[in-house]
Formats: sequence, C-alpha cells, structure tokens
Amino acid sequence: MARIGVFVCHCGENIGRTVDCARVAGEIGKLPGVVHSVDYKYMCSDPGQALIKQAIAEKGLTGVVVSACSPHMHERTFRRAAGGAGLNPFLCEMANIREHCSWIHEDREAATDKAIDLARVIVEKVKRNVPLETIRIPVEKRALVIGGGIAGIQAALDLADGGAEVVLVEKEPSIGGHMSQLSETFPTLDCSQCILTPRMVEVYQHPRIRLMAYCEVDAVEGYIGNFKVTIRQKARSVDETKCNGCGACQKACVVKNVPSEFDERLGKRTAIYVPFPQAVPNIPVIDREHCAYFKGRARGMKKDACGKCKEACARGAIDFAQEDRFVTEKVGAIVVATGYELYSIGKDQPAAGLKGYGEYGYGTVPDVIDGLQFERLASASGPTAGKLLRPSDGKVPKKIVFLQCVGSRDPAKGIDYCSKVCCMYVAKHTMLYRHKVHDGEATVFYMDVRAAGKGYDEFTRRAVEEDGAVYVRGRVSRVYRDGDVVKVLGFDTLNGTPVEIDADMVVLATAMRPRKGIEKLAQTLSVSYDRHGFINEAHPKLRPVETNTAGVFVAGACQAPRDIPDSVAMASAAAAKVLGLFSNEMLEREPTVARVDAALCAGCFHCERVCPYGAVEHKEVRDRKGNLLKVVADVNPGVCQGCGTCQATCPSKSVELMGFTDEQIYAEVNALAL
Amino acid sequence: MNATLDKTSFEPRLTAFVCNWCTYTGADLAGTSRLQMDANVRIVRLPCTGRIDPLFIVKAFERGADGVIVSGCHPADCHYTSGNYHARRRFAFFKELIEFLGLPEGRITFSWVSASEGQKWREVVNDATARVRALGPFSGYPGTELPAWPAAGAPAPNPAPGGGGER
Amino acid sequence: MKELRDLATKLLAEGTVNVVLGWEEGPRGVRPAFATDAAAAGRLVFDPRCTQNLVPYLSPRRTQVKKLGKAAVVVKGCDARAVAGLVRETQLAREDVVVIGVRCGGVIADPASPEPLSPATVADRCPGCNSREPKLADHTVGELPAAPPGESRRDVRIADLEARTADERWAFWQDELGRCVRCHACREACPMCFCERCVADKTQPQWVDSSPHPRGAFAWNVTRALHLAGRCVDCGECERACPVDIPLGLLNLKLARVASERFGYTATDDPAVPSPVGSFQKDDAQEFIL
Ligand SMILES: Cc1cc2nc3c(=O)[nH]c(=O)nc-3n(C[C@H](O)[C@H](O)[C@H](O)COP(=O)(O)OP(=O)(O)OC[C@H]3O[C@@H](n4cnc5c(N)ncnc54)[C@H](O)[C@@H]3O)c2cc1C
Ligand code: SF4
Ligand code: SF4
Ligand code: SF4
Repeated sequence: MARIGVFVCHCGENIGRTVDCARVAGEIGKLPGVVHSVDYKYMCSDPGQALIKQAIAEKGLTGVVVSACSPHMHERTFRRAAGGAGLNPFLCEMANIREHCSWIHEDREAATDKAIDLARVIVEKVKRNVPLETIRIPVEKRALVIGGGIAGIQAALDLADGGAEVVLVEKEPSIGGHMSQLSETFPTLDCSQCILTPRMVEVYQHPRIRLMAYCEVDAVEGYIGNFKVTIRQKARSVDETKCNGCGACQKACVVKNVPSEFDERLGKRTAIYVPFPQAVPNIPVIDREHCAYFKGRARGMKKDACGKCKEACARGAIDFAQEDRFVTEKVGAIVVATGYELYSIGKDQPAAGLKGYGEYGYGTVPDVIDGLQFERLASASGPTAGKLLRPSDGKVPKKIVFLQCVGSRDPAKGIDYCSKVCCMYVAKHTMLYRHKVHDGEATVFYMDVRAAGKGYDEFTRRAVEEDGAVYVRGRVSRVYRDGDVVKVLGFDTLNGTPVEIDADMVVLATAMRPRKGIEKLAQTLSVSYDRHGFINEAHPKLRPVETNTAGVFVAGACQAPRDIPDSVAMASAAAAKVLGLFSNEMLEREPTVARVDAALCAGCFHCERVCPYGAVEHKEVRDRKGNLLKVVADVNPGVCQGCGTCQATCPSKSVELMGFTDEQIYAEVNALAL
Repeated sequence: MNATLDKTSFEPRLTAFVCNWCTYTGADLAGTSRLQMDANVRIVRLPCTGRIDPLFIVKAFERGADGVIVSGCHPADCHYTSGNYHARRRFAFFKELIEFLGLPEGRITFSWVSASEGQKWREVVNDATARVRALGPFSGYPGTELPAWPAAGAPAPNPAPGGGGER
Repeated sequence: MKELRDLATKLLAEGTVNVVLGWEEGPRGVRPAFATDAAAAGRLVFDPRCTQNLVPYLSPRRTQVKKLGKAAVVVKGCDARAVAGLVRETQLAREDVVVIGVRCGGVIADPASPEPLSPATVADRCPGCNSREPKLADHTVGELPAAPPGESRRDVRIADLEARTADERWAFWQDELGRCVRCHACREACPMCFCERCVADKTQPQWVDSSPHPRGAFAWNVTRALHLAGRCVDCGECERACPVDIPLGLLNLKLARVASERFGYTATDDPAVPSPVGSFQKDDAQEFIL
C-alpha cells in the first residue's frame, strides 16, 4: 500500500497569495494512500527539506510529492533530499502550482481548486512510480577522430593536449586534407602549408595520438563511452616500420605519368608515391592500379613485370604481398571530420539530382578549371612551381574570368545551399593572380558577395579597390573554346547588357559537397544527414557540434560548407565536448529509458523505425533447447534518450518508458476526472 | 440543445498533454512573466510529443474532459530531434479520424509552443478554453457520464441522445 | 483453373512447398483449402467467390499452417499487399513463402451468396482496382478478366458523410459503433493485426474498456483504425468479419486517403516501399497545428 507524503509550498507569498495552501494540503491529505500532507513557507530551504527527510524517516513514506514551483527549478533539489533520507530519488515528483497556477491566476478559489487537481495528478502518478537506478556507464577515455583535414587535426591535437588518447583515422596516405592544397589563405593571405605543416608534424609526434593514415572505419558497435570500432588498414605495400621516407623508391619507379590527386590532376606522380613532399606520415604507398608490378600480376604474367622500387629500397620495406588488415579500437567518443569535395561539372554525376554543366562544356575545355586547381597553379609547391600558367599550352593567362556560385544556390543543378567560402576565395584568387601577373585582368561574375566574417568584407573590397578585380553582377550562360581563347557569354544584370569576354582561362567556384561515401559512414555511426549528405547537428543553434547519436560529434566541412576558422572553431568545440565527457569516470544518465517486454513484443520494429537515436536493437528469443522462437526489439539503455516515441508508436504497448509509463499517465488522466 | 444549461456558468475542463522541453517550459515562462490566463487547463507533462499516444486523448474525453490540448516543440526544435515529426504524423491521422467520426473540431487543439513562447501559450490556453466553452460540455457517451466538475452542485450536463457535438 | 491446379500439384510434387493455401468448393460457397497432396491440389478453385484473404494464415501468430511446413499461398492483388505488409514488418521472410498470384476481375462481397458478380454484388474495394495482377508473385496464373463491374460505393458514402455536420456524423457513428459487441472478429480476420497481445486486451492499464458500451466501442474502433492507419492493405476482411455490419471499410479508406494525400503513401505489394509509420518528411502538412 502506498504511503505518500505531500508537501505544499507557499514559496513565501508567491504561491500563498493566490493559492490557499492549507486547503490544498487538507484536501490532498484525504486522498487514499496519502499519509502525510502539510504546507510550509519555503520547501526548498534547509528546514523545508528537513521536513521531507523527517517524514520519510518517521512515517515510512513510499513516495513524496512536493507541490511547489516547476520541476525544472527544483526537481533535483527534492530528489536529492528524498535520496538523502534513504528513499529512491525517483519516487519523488513535483506538482507545479507556482508557474502553472499561482502566478497565472488571480481568482483564489479557482487557483486553489486547480492546485488541488495538479497535486492530485502527481500523487496518483507517484503511487505508480517505481524505484529507478541512475544508469552508470564506464567511459573509455579514448577518442576516435575520422578525417585528417584541418578540422580533424585540430580536434585530435586539442583532445590529446587535454589528456585524452586519440586515434586519428585518415583515408588518404597523408593527413592535411584540402588545406594542404591551398596556396595562401584568406583573409590574411598567409601561406597555407606554413601554418598547417607544423600541426601535421605535431600530430605525428604527439605521444597520445595514434595516427592511422590510409585507413578507413569499417564498423562501429556500442554507444557513448563504449564504442568498438573496426578499422581497415589498407595495404600500402610498404612496411611502415622499416621505411624511413628516403624517397629512393619513387625515383626508381618506372611509372611516372599518373595524374596527381594532390595537384588536382594538373601534375604527375609515380605509382609509388607520397602525395606531397610534406606528407605526414612520410611513407609512400603503391597505387596498385597503376603499378607495373601489380598490372603485370593482374594480366597473369608469371614473371614479375617490375620491382624497381624493391631493388631501390635499402631497408627492404617494399612488401608487394601486404594485404588489408583490420584492427579494433575501443573508444568513448567519436569526432567526424570528413570534410568536403567539389561539385564536378562533368556529365557523370555521383548523385541523382545533380546535373553538371553542359553549358560550360561538362569540363572538357582544358582552360576551364575549378578553384582547387587554381590553388595548385598558384602554389609555390604546385605543378608549375607557383608560376601561373594555363593548362592547355602553358602560357601566362592575361585575362581570367571567375564564375561564382557554380552549382551552389542553383536548385536546377541539384543544390540550393550557399557554399559560403567561394566569395572569399574568389576574391583571394583575383588578388593572387594580380600579384603574380601584374597586367592581368580579373573579371568575376557573381550573384551577391557574401563576406560576413571578421575582416572578410574588407578583404573582398581590397580585391576590387587595390587589386583592380572587375566584379560583374550576373550569370554566365555559356563557356566554350574558340581557337586560342575561352569565350564567356554572360549578362550584366546591373547594366542590363550582355557581356562577351575572350578569356585565357576560366575558374569555376564550384559548390562544396560532402565527401563520397559519407552516407555509408553516417549509417555506420547511425548519425543523420541531410538530403545533400551533410551530417546533421543535434540542434542547429544549441548543439552545433553534437549529432543525434550521443558520443558522436561533428566538425568542419562535413557538417556544412565551412572555411578554415569555422572548421577549427568547430573542432575545438567538439574536442571540448569530448573532454567534458571524459572528465567523468562514469557517465550518469537519468534512468528514464525505454524497456521492451520481450514476451509481448511482436517484432514489428516500428519502434526501431521511429527511434531518433537508433537505440532499438534486435534480440533473439530462444527456447530452452536453443530453437529460435522470435526476434524482438531491445532498447540499449546507453543509447536511449528517453523520448518515448517508441512507446506511443508500439501498437501493443510492449515497450515502456520508465518514469513515464502507461500506468503512470493513465493514472494522471484519471485523476483529473475525480 | 441543452436549453436548460446556462452557458455562462459552464466552466469546461481541459487536459493538456505537453512536452517537457518546449511547451512545459513555455508555460513556465508564462508563469514567470505573470501572464494571466483561464484556469481551466490541467497539464500532464510528458518527455516529448513523441510520447503522446492518441489513447491518452481518447481516455481524457472518456474520463470527462471537455477539451484537450496537445503541444510540443516546433518542427526542427525537438529536444530529441525527431519525436515531434513522428507525433505530427500520428496526430494527423488521429485528427482526421476523429473529425470523420464527428468530434467537433474545436475540442482538440494541437499547437507548437516553444520555451520562449509564454505569450503564445496563454493564447492557446485562452482560445482553447473559449472554443470549448462555446461548444458546451462533452457528453459523447450517453448514459455513462461521470460526476460533474469542478464544483459539486453545478448543473450536470444533460445528454442528448446520440449527441457529442455542439449543443 | 487447370493452370492453378497444375502449378500447385507441381510445387507439392517437387517438394518446393509442403502446403498450398487456396480455395476449394465447400458446403456454402468456397472455403479455404490447405492442399498438401495432389488430390487436394486438384480441387483448388479460383473465381469471384474467392473473396477471402488467405494471408492471415501466414502471420507468425497463427501457427496451424506453419506446422505443415513451407507454404505457397494463392493471392489476389489485394491479398498480395498483405504479404508485402507482413514482409515489411518482419513478420514473414519473403523467401519463406511461395506466392501464387491470380489475375482477378473482382470478387463478390458475400462469398456464400449464389449470385454472380455484378455491380450489385461486387465487393466494395473492387471497382476501380488497379492491382488486379500481383506484382510480388513468384508465379502468376490465369488470363486477366474484364475489370470489376460497377462503381465505388465507398467514395459516395464517404463524400456523403463528409458533407454532413459534425453532430450528424457523430450520431451516425454512435449508431454504427453502438452495435459493436467487442467480439474482435475484425482483428482476428486482419492480416496486419499480428500483435502478441493486442492493446485492447491489456489490463494494466486498461486503455480500451472491454465492455461493449459506447466508451469501449469508441475507444476500440478508434484504436483499431489508427493502428491500421498507413498499414491497412484494404482487403476488406475486417468489415466482412463484422457480425453487426459496422462499415469499418469507411474508416480504413478515410485513413488510407490521409496516408496518400498527406504522406504520399498508398498500400502496395512492394515490401521495399517504406510505410508512413516510422517515417516522416520535415515538411509534412501541419495546417491543423497552431
Ligand atoms: C578553392 C578553395 C579555396 C579555399 N580557400 C580557403 C581560404 O583561403 N581560407 C579558408 O579559411 N578556407 C578556404 N577554403 C575552405 C577550406 O578548404 C576548408 O574550410 C577546410 O579545408 C575544411 O577542412 P576539413 O578538415 O573540414 O575538410 P577537408 O580539408 O576536406 O579534410 C577532410 C579529411 O578527411 C578525410 N576523409 C574523408 N572521408 C574520410 C573517411 N571516410 N575516412 C577517413 N578520412 C576521411 C579526407 O581525406 C581529408 O583528409 C577553400 C576552399 C576551396 C574549395
Ligand atoms: S524512448 Fe525514444 S530514444 Fe528511447 S528507445 Fe524509445 S524512441 Fe528510442
Ligand atoms: S513496436 Fe512494439 S511490438 Fe513492435 S517491435 Fe517495437 S516493442 Fe515490439
Ligand atoms: S484493417 Fe481490414 S481491410 Fe485493412 S488490412 Fe486489416 S482486415 Fe484488411
């Protein structure tokens, strides 16, 4: 039999002025199961709390109702008080007679009647509360960072400096991401490599960072604090433990004409290669698709077609027989920082809905390049050693036309969002161009210039005012090769006139898109992504670096188009969140989680489909002989956040949300009928 | 129909099912801002609109509520990211069904009230109360009425045969 | 008919299946048949009296058929949607059943009646049917007959109800639902009602009053309709099973329209199409929410 204690608070005058607290206590005291009902001036004060403790001890209460302010205000206070007297804290609840009653009504009679109802509802609920235990989950204080661009690098360094162990997984042979390809960076025009390389080296040398380059995340199990990650180490064909990065193998390699990914196909590399001289780790990898040895193998040749690198390597590091290996790592948190790639204007598109640019020749005109290619041409370490030469004939372009918003903000091409960084880097490109080619003419076609950011507007204005870039507001309808020049046909919407330019080169500021394969990774991590593939943050305003899966965080351009300062800020924020998580030995979670009754569950998995967190798993039910009887739903309490959507969806009510069970709510609804 | 019932003396009772994070907090804000409103609504706090089962609403009417309010976070603001989206589908089915069955539209009010919309919460409460007051008591289940509310002695609703709608 | 019988005989002879679920001649019209040998397979029939949906027998909660071993089931287009429904909701593995589709020209509402198929006798769901050839079937038999006769009576009735006032609708439904005796025959006949324990049988708490008074009848019928919203395959079995002739089909159809108008979902025999339960669009219509 329930023994409920009710404590009605006056909150000084705040409640007492409008609600007759003594009458509330008196009326509620008459309810069956209520053995103690009093009113008091300030329940949250020490003497108030002492009243609760005393009553629990003296009257053996099985539940406590504090009729006072909002539970958002003092639920913790009173639960702690109840807990202090040996009552399970979850047997204590609050009825809100201040915010929801005394403060919003003037009629004392009506307010008192309502307060009685509100208290009665909670009394009926508490009668059906069951003791719950705070869920404690041990935390594995290691973090996984996926993606080694600037965002991933920053997150890894902040985490490691904060004392956490880090596993950094990068799918390319080297970390660095797109920032390593940039020549100089807005808004300060400092050299990208110069600021990035030291951080890359720091990652490599950090005692708490395990760098796993040329690796990919294969599978993820578990939940916050306790993930088990399977990582695929792709075969480099080079033994990392032996290689010292001397580069002899690359000099020896006979295949020298593979288009370099790092140079955006404007330069060439060997089949055994490091992507760029400052690569971290500085260990080559054999590109098996182009390597003469592997090509020979593939053709079924008995004799080895090549082996020059192996001969050249003094340390015997070349290992043609290496295979993909799998390692598992236990981590407590994951940061996703897989970055972006650029919209390709070609005919073949990675996703339905994306259309490509037939009007710009689908990328067939050699002197029409994209922004990253321009970065490589302008970079001192690039294929032209920093001389601005156009790809078709190596001449210095005297006229360059830059097109903004190629793909971006163009639903007809499949993308309606703004890529955010293009306005800035186009302004940067016009400046870099004029610094290298003093008599060059830079013309920019734009829709609007969006340069919100510290020093950003000043930067774009400098491009016009100091470096003489000509900005034409309007779109370009066609780009085609006409003999030696690239014809650009556009329209100046401010003057209302058509524009025709014979350019030497055209640079397209193509849209930023999420990386290929991001959807699969997101599914592996059970985080949600938008229709473009950008990872969704848990809350657009208040939880920008968390995802909807507890323990998985997001940073950089994989969440939305981001520039370097934004990416770094996000990375540091994500690292701070993870360190906050790691500051606890045990994760404490409210036990308001769902539980499935396996005997009743029919295994329709509607609950799984609606759960925002992927907390519902499948569990096999077997008889004593081990025969499979059925497969039912099972909620992982580490993952469940307690929304209860599963329960409302379950047709047979086979899943119950603790703390808000059907019995409790039924009792509350019924209590209103009395 | 209920000619004997003095409409002005009828004080409807409404049950509100609200989510903890947006509407409950919005109602808290209305309190902190001392926004005066009708005293006819009793709130039942749930974690999320996703937890609100149409059975709650049916039961509330069975147990004598004259009106029901359902309220939670605006789309995209759900504390649990998508509980409210699933709830919205569920409520759409429920609302259309219940209307088809002849429950007058004004008896159930669906709303999104965020934690900052204390003012809106007041409007929702007052408007819903006014609508239900105009509709009169709900006695959709002739012969099975429960005792009147709030005060004893108030005229008991007089059920018209087969009636549950306006009177 | 021969094609169907030959196929059933072959599937049994080859050992592909242990039982073929179909229809055979019975004392009052046709009845379900569980053919386990060639003789029984030779008795299978298909004609407009084969109104009954046999798919409920495949539900994992109904173990009689399961005990016989692997089954083949003869389905009309509407029944095929039930197979898809069970597959979609993991009650049945697609490879565990052989689906024999029959091309259908409509069935009669009352399979025990001796009347031929006509606009007067046709089942409510048939006129205008656009799934007369099950796509999900492993084998499809028969010629495609002429389209079902007549016009939909349900559309007219729904339009008529919707044109009335709320009070009139309430009165109408109180009258209809007032007859409900809470036998739950609708549930037993439904292929998609496969819960281990129906919420109506739950007692702690008892959301749905068990007695056949207005509250219980209302709560039960609202619950049944809502639990089938976006899941009902429109096979008509619930209405046919109802001993007091409550027009359950109207409630189902009303909600099917909501599913299609609001969420773009129509019942289909493609199990890969996600059900509107458990999915959402951020821009689902919400004109009814303040
Ligand atoms: C032409 C151009 C010029 C720009 N100029 C500037 C500038 O001047 N200033 C500025 O602030 N910003 C500039 N930006 C923006 C800048 O490039 C980005 O802000 C920055 O690179 C984002 O960093 P990131 O780490 O998020 O992504 P990325 O640089 O894309 O790095 C992501 C990393 O993750 C790895 N990865 C991807 N998928 C996986 C996977 N599944 N598993 C493991 N690893 C994976 C990738 O290989 C890569 O190393 C420019 C952008 C462009 C296109
Ligand atoms: S309560 Fe919410 S978070 Fe927990 S399992 Fe159910 S749907 Fe998922
Ligand atoms: S919705 Fe209910 S019956 Fe279906 S799987 Fe989940 S708990 Fe089981
Ligand atoms: S609700 Fe009726 S029509 Fe719908 S699937 Fe079930 S039995 Fe068939």
